[in-house]
Order: sequence, then structure tokens, then C-alpha cells
Amino acid sequence: MIERYLALWGEEETLNFLEACELPISSSIRINTLKTTNETVLSRLRSKSVVIEEIPWLEEGFYADFDGSSPGALMEHMLGFYYVQGVPSMTATSVLDPQPGETVLDLAAAPGGKTTHIGQMMQNTGMVIAVEQDRLRMASLKSNIIRCGVTNSLILRGDARKLDYLGFEIDRILLDAPCSGEGLIPLDPTRKTSKTMADVRYCATREDELLDAAVNVLSDGGTIVYTTCSIAPEENEYIVDDILNRYPELEVVEIPIDFGIPGYSEPFGVKLNESLKHSRRFLPHLHGTEGFFICKMMKKEGKVE
Amino acid sequence: MTLELVDPIEWTSVIEQIDGEFGDGVTKSLLGDLVPVVLSRGGSKTFFLIPTEWMYMVTEEEGERLDIQFIGKELGSIAKGRFRMSLQIIGELKELTNAFIIVTKHSAEAFTYGRSILKESVVELNPDLKRGQRVLVLNKDRECLGVASLSIDASILNRLSREKLVGKNLVDIGWFIRRLG
Repeated sequence: MIERYLALWGEEETLNFLEACELPISSSIRINTLKTTNETVLSRLRSKSVVIEEIPWLEEGFYADFDGSSPGALMEHMLGFYYVQGVPSMTATSVLDPQPGETVLDLAAAPGGKTTHIGQMMQNTGMVIAVEQDRLRMASLKSNIIRCGVTNSLILRGDARKLDYLGFEIDRILLDAPCSGEGLIPLDPTRKTSKTMADVRYCATREDELLDAAVNVLSDGGTIVYTTCSIAPEENEYIVDDILNRYPELEVVEIPIDFGIPGYSEPFGVKLNESLKHSRRFLPHLHGTEGFFICKMMKKEGKVE
Repeated sequence: MTLELVDPIEWTSVIEQIDGEFGDGVTKSLLGDLVPVVLSRGGSKTFFLIPTEWMYMVTEEEGERLDIQFIGKELGSIAKGRFRMSLQIIGELKELTNAFIIVTKHSAEAFTYGRSILKESVVELNPDLKRGQRVLVLNKDRECLGVASLSIDASILNRLSREKLVGKNLVDIGWFIRRLG
């Protein structure tokens, strides 16, 4: 793995990355405005000695230092007042920007952080369709929907690559694809050695199939956000470049939120679609978060040759 | 699992159980302009409330569709003839019923860890409530923490010793954490 990042970033940046992976990541929460307000939760958490800091680009997102206690054990968490969620994950939903009344598809949805965030942004109107294949993870998805008071959801179990029979007009899709998780090394250092190039290739194939299936069911004029918690270009920019070649009606659009750094348009010297610079990356050594990739695309209306 | 319309006889039984525990007309208020539907698995059935415009999902023929696991607002489930309220609905229910018990801060915390309610923890309890009655458990901020079954007639509360059991924990909001970690 290290050799690949030496080739991608050079020695100094790779070293910075590896050092950053040894540091803990700040915990963060998203306040659930379906049940409460920012002011109420912040006041209650501060009274319990939780140190809160704003995340500049996320209205309901906050860094929260629980000083060693479990953020999931507090009464406010049980009441569904907040969701413990990584900064990149809540940013992904903000980038999707779901609107009240729309029909939104969330693929590989468990444990439900993004589904509940979508429901929150849609103010429990329209419909958020959450698809998850894993039977065990389904339980956590359901319980988070219930805890957070999301009432506009439809949860489906099955293979997200088989969406043809869905039969909905989909306005927006969030695909946080199952990936090698190379970006999660700060959370799980074993990934430094447990993941191989074969894992990256296997995941890339599945990510490509999932994105293809998602683009197929997206309505004309619809928006799709593709994300992974991998930092490997093979699972991110390469996948998007491929899909852009197959679907000329699809275009990468700028993300109107200021965070992270631009995606790569020439990783490892391979020239990809220039518009990939509009995608964004979180990197542990630059942003103090887990590694993450976010790309927003739109499907143009009308037939494109 | 298949989404179906509710069986009228079964739905009547659900209404009787909810209204019997929490007051006449409560089910109708919870329903509002939503439609009850049911998902069956094994011997249990889970009731959901959905907007009328989602009804086409009930009438569509079975094909190679994905399997519906959850839809709209979960009302509760019925197993062996007994209806159990969903944690998703109890927040709304508290606005519609007098069947509740308010407990101290300490007891509220303990309740979310699965503990039952002792006499010393009771802040407020409607004296008309009877033994075996289900009640919502609220903290002093009137936030709903779960459902308990009364172990005594509420009218004798003041005659009990401090350690006497008043309400048995049936379900609480800490269940998520205990089950899923």
C-alpha cells in the first residue's frame, strides 16, 4: 500500500499521512432537528461537560469531546437528539442536498447515519428509500430510523445492483459504496496491512456495478453523490471516470460547500476527466478526519449522444 | 416480507388494545390521515402508518422487487394476540393520554438501563390508573423514556414503602444500545 502512496503523493506527504494515521480523530455529532434544536442539545451537553466546537460548513454538525465517556450512553442520544457521525459522512449528505417532497435513494444504507440525515433535511416529507443487503446491519438501520424519528422512509433489503424493479422516479441518490476502507486507517490501524491491492480491485469492481445500477434508475435532471471511505483513486476517480465515459448524459458538478481538497484528475500520471477536480477529498493529514471521497454528478435532461 | 392492508378484525383488536390502555380515540388521533398497513414475519405482524399516496406499494404485484422491511411510521407489533407499541410512536402518544408516570432524574436514567420503577422514584401518577395498566414513563422534562406495566393500583401509591415496585419496565429507549451496542 505504501508504495502506491509514495507514487501518488511523494515521500513527504506519505510520511505526513502515516503520522496522521497514528493520531485519534475528533468525535463529532449531528444534531437531529426532527426532534430538537441545536440550542437545546448544546446546552444540555455542555451541562454534562461535553466540549463542543462548530464545524464551519455544517449547520447541525459539531465536534464533540465527551472526555472518554461513551457518546451513545447519554440520555440525549437515546432520545434521538443527536447522531454520532463522522464529519465526512455528514458532509456527504449536505452535498446531496435533499429537498422536502423529493424521492431520494440511499444505497448501502446501514447503519442509517446518512438515511436519518436525509430524512432530517427533507423534514420527514417525500420519501427516502434506504437499501441494504446485510441482514445483521438491517437491525441497526431500523433502530436508528426509529430513534431519530424518521417517518418518511422505506427500507428495502436486497442487492443494490438490482434496482431495475424499483419503479420509482428518483430525484437524488446517495451511494456511499462499500469499499476497502483505506481511509479508515486512523480508526482501524490494522487496515494498513490487512488490505491488499486485490481488495482494492475487488471493491472497485463492485463499486462500478453499484454506481452503474444507481445511474440507471436516476431520473433525468437528477443528482447522484458517490462517496467512499477509501483514499484509493482506483475506488474513486477511476470509477467516476469510467462511468462518465459510459454515460455521456452524466456530468460532475461543483460542490458549493468549502471543505477538503479537489479530487485528482491525473492520479499516478493517468489522465482522467478534468471535471474530477470538482470532486472533493478528505485526508487524515490535511483535515484531521478519516479519508473520504465525495463526487457530485447530475444526469442531464433529454437524450445525449 | 409483503406489505398488506390490515385485516379488519385484527385491526379492531389493535384499536381496542391501544384505546383500552391509553384512552378512547387515541388510535384515531395517532392515525390522523395515514393508512395502517402490515408486514408479517413468522408469527408476528408489524403495523405501520403510511401516507395514502404510498398505497400503490400495497397493491403492486409481487415481482423481483426488493424486500420491504420498514415503511413510514411504525405503530407497533402483535404477537400471540398482544399488541406492543413501537418506540417510534410513544413520543406522539404522550400528548394524547393520561396513562403516564413521571419519575425522578435518577430513576429516569436507571429506567433507560432496563430497570423498573420503585415507589421512591415516582413524581406523578394519575390515581385512577389500575394494576396491570400500561403507562408511558416520562422524565421530569416530560420526555418519553418507554412503557411500563403498573404493579399496583395507583390509588394506593402513598401507602407503599419506598422500595415497593410500582412499574415493571416493558420497553425503554436504551434498548437500542443494549441490543446493538
